[in-house]
Amino acid sequence: MAEIRFENVKKTYGEDTIIPDMNMTIKDGSFTVIVGPSGCGKSTTLRMIAGLETQTEGNIYIGDRLVNDVSPGKRNVSMVFQNYALYPTMSVKGNIEFGLKNRKVPKAERQKLIEEVAEIVGLTPYLNKKPQKLSGGQRQRVALARAMVKKPDVFILDEPLSNLDAKLRQQMRSELVQLHAKLGTTFVYVTHDQVEAMSMGDEIVLLDQGEIMQMAPPLDLYNYPANRFTAQFIGTPPMNLVSVDQLPSAGFSEKAVEQIGFRPEKAKLRHFPGNDQFSMPCTILNRETLGSEIIYQLDTFAGKLYAKTFNEPVVDDEQLVVSVNNEDIYYFKENGRCIAPYLNRETPIKVRSTV
Amino acid sequence: MKTSRFALKGLNVLGLLIVIAIFATPFVWMAVTSVKSLSETITFPPVWIPETIRFENFALAWDSGPFLRYFVNSLIVTLSILVLQLFTIVPAAYAFARYRFFADRVLFALTMITLMIPTQLIFLPVYLQFSSWGLLDTHLALILPFAANAFAIFMLRQTFKQVPEELLEAARLDQASEWKIMYMVMVPMAKPTIITLLLFSFITHWNDYFWPLVMTTTDASRTLPVGISALTNVEGGVAWHIMMAGNMILVVPILIIFFIAQRHIIRAFVYTGVK
Amino acid sequence: MSRWLERFRPYLMVAPAIIVFVLFFIYPIGYMIYLSFHEWDFISPDKQFVGLDNFAGLSEHPEFLKSLENTFVFTFFSVGITTVLALLLALWINRPTRFYGFVQGAVFSPHIISLVSIAMLWMWLMDPQYGLLNWGLEMFGLPQSEWLASPETALYSIILVAIWKSIGFNTLIIIAGLQSIPPHLYEAAALDQSSRFTSFAKITFPMISPTLFFLIIMNLIGSFQVFETIDIMTQGGPLQSTNTLVYYIYEYGFRFFQLGYASSAGVILLIVLSILTVLYFFLMSRRVHYQ
Ligand SMILES: Nc1ncnc2c1ncn2[C@@H]1O[C@H](COP(=O)(O)OP(=O)(O)O)[C@@H](O)[C@H]1O
Ligand SMILES: [Mg+2]
Repeated sequence: MAEIRFENVKKTYGEDTIIPDMNMTIKDGSFTVIVGPSGCGKSTTLRMIAGLETQTEGNIYIGDRLVNDVSPGKRNVSMVFQNYALYPTMSVKGNIEFGLKNRKVPKAERQKLIEEVAEIVGLTPYLNKKPQKLSGGQRQRVALARAMVKKPDVFILDEPLSNLDAKLRQQMRSELVQLHAKLGTTFVYVTHDQVEAMSMGDEIVLLDQGEIMQMAPPLDLYNYPANRFTAQFIGTPPMNLVSVDQLPSAGFSEKAVEQIGFRPEKAKLRHFPGNDQFSMPCTILNRETLGSEIIYQLDTFAGKLYAKTFNEPVVDDEQLVVSVNNEDIYYFKENGRCIAPYLNRETPIKVRSTV
Repeated sequence: MKTSRFALKGLNVLGLLIVIAIFATPFVWMAVTSVKSLSETITFPPVWIPETIRFENFALAWDSGPFLRYFVNSLIVTLSILVLQLFTIVPAAYAFARYRFFADRVLFALTMITLMIPTQLIFLPVYLQFSSWGLLDTHLALILPFAANAFAIFMLRQTFKQVPEELLEAARLDQASEWKIMYMVMVPMAKPTIITLLLFSFITHWNDYFWPLVMTTTDASRTLPVGISALTNVEGGVAWHIMMAGNMILVVPILIIFFIAQRHIIRAFVYTGVK
Repeated sequence: MSRWLERFRPYLMVAPAIIVFVLFFIYPIGYMIYLSFHEWDFISPDKQFVGLDNFAGLSEHPEFLKSLENTFVFTFFSVGITTVLALLLALWINRPTRFYGFVQGAVFSPHIISLVSIAMLWMWLMDPQYGLLNWGLEMFGLPQSEWLASPETALYSIILVAIWKSIGFNTLIIIAGLQSIPPHLYEAAALDQSSRFTSFAKITFPMISPTLFFLIIMNLIGSFQVFETIDIMTQGGPLQSTNTLVYYIYEYGFRFFQLGYASSAGVILLIVLSILTVLYFFLMSRRVHYQ
């Protein structure tokens, strides 16, 4: 059990600065998800926690221990890899046991530990099989068992579900969340999938080009994005942005903002204009019917916008009006920072709890 | 149409049988000759089936020189080479595959140069070297130059490079030492390659004639191929039946092994030849 | 301590192999080059520096020139014929049935047999009086040959043995090359109704030509080193007709103790092999590029 602290951590590969200056504290016992577009430095961050990469500058603490010079095997960190990285020449049991043997755990105890974790992840019948003989989901469980058996202070998982099919992925997501609840150990989980991040994490670190865009619980990230990047990254379709100079009603410019934004699910499609501050005529370009909801692509004089409704389908080709309640409008300043509804100031990048 | 197809098929099979004959007949002829009498070897046209099968030819061939000694020498030399190679090749290939170190390119280039130097080029200077060390005509002279094998290092390095990096990282997180990673994770994964390379080495050195010819002067360290070659000048002219009997002793075990493990051996050679 | 070990581990790991290479391959090459500029008989204590005299001597030495010529003739015919025949044979017997597998095994078998046995066996087959080959020629009504006994035919007889020994290995390498051609290429060609010859010329040959290049270079390197068959079957004779470069080096170094001469002949072999090696690496880097 341990919190993880990054202090002015910088990572460069030759000329390229991957992570300029990272400061964060991952809470003890949390399920923290690091999410961001591909290449933004998520894996690098994880690998620095594990000690597989060494930071160029700065300090990393696991618990109270400064681990800058501690080798990967001694950090008491377990990792689950994207491609499982199971030892193909060892049986399932051998895979789980390898780390214990290296730690010189006595045989009887090893046996007990293996049986314990095998039971938890449901691998007991497969202990003597080679990993190649198992399905993707089972291999994933072996990787988990191998990580768990060491009783680490920290679990780190690098896109562990990306090789599974959609259904299995769904199932494994909830299994992982339950596992975390059961073990209570700190989990640091990397994914590029915002849905996965939102559904699993109790704390999300959103990265872009090695910088923390926002670090907050999922709902805060959704409701109170700190900046344009977060607003657009979280939610599908992404938040609509409209430049203020394209808006006829002058009311917005008062707040010295550059753009306003609203979530597609907050857009109202109607046949008549209302008295909302934001209201503009539109035509439907395209519609995606997903069952419970419909996503419209709208054409307006301010550009293309998305709307997501849970209503009866609207008839095509009609002149419609898209409008948004005042309390659903976000304001973006020139520097990209966001002023969320009800919160007449910039959202802080790191929120510890719901504001 | 149908008949011509049939004829073509027949012709094809006939052709294949001829091909087999081209490669099998010499061995059959060796076998036939090895159980003939002297007079039966010097008749023309040759006889295919000897009057009596003279197995004693094998004993005569075997007794014509210290063949047990040669056999033991061959065994000592070949097995020592294999064991030593195992201990030099694996770490070197691993280091070249997995570490970037200051002189890695230079040392690897040196290995590749060695790969291209045939023994026929270096025997003179090495002979002089061994003679000054007093190692001529010893097993060591036959073993030491082949204690490492550049070709095998190159091949094994390729195999090691294909092992995904993640696997090594997993092992590091499992607190395995670098040596342990090599022997517990990498070597088991490269086992097919290693066996192939050892098979290749075995056949090469078991059959080698040139090096032992150059480096040995007495029966104390001569190996089988050199010993057998001495049958060409058994006193009193050429005794083909004895010569062939001697060679049968050398060839038959290898051929038997070959036809049992044909697939593996061919794969070993083709694999080492192509990649 | 562990940092220190960390830094030196790779060196420790390559050290045994590198020591062997330097001691028995790299250093001897240097020593050979050094000797090639000296005159030495192995017994006298001092080596006399003679500059390029050894090379000049070689260039006028008929025996050496003959051995060079023989080596080139041997190489040209053995490599050329082996490659062409192996290609044809590979196209013919590249089929997955058991019978074809047996044929492949039979063709390959000489490759794992010691050249000593092969040389002795063929000496017997080529015996001018009682040999099986002359009996075969007679059966087909052809004139008999002197084989190894005549300077006219001896070298070609040795070439024949070299081809017989190496054709199987070459064939199987080419078969491996053929099998690595993706079948969809042929399927596309079949849809285009291309003839068998066209698909050979347009697909098969271009796809296996890297393999063929490699084989040819490996064969060239191998045949410049021919020794065993010569030593056992003819010892360079009759009348120098089968004396080759390596055999020359062996004789001058070991029989006549003219180490300077032998070394400079070695340097010439080294130069030939280096050119081929450079070619080999050049092709290898190209081929890596393709993949
Ligand atoms: N060993 C390396 N050498 C050089 N650049 C690297 C190395 N590893 C990663 N990078 C670069 O660092 C950036 C971040 O990589 P990574 O952390 O793997 O991203 P991701 O967020 O997709 O996991 C990428 O641009 C990648 O190209
Ligand atoms: Mg990644």
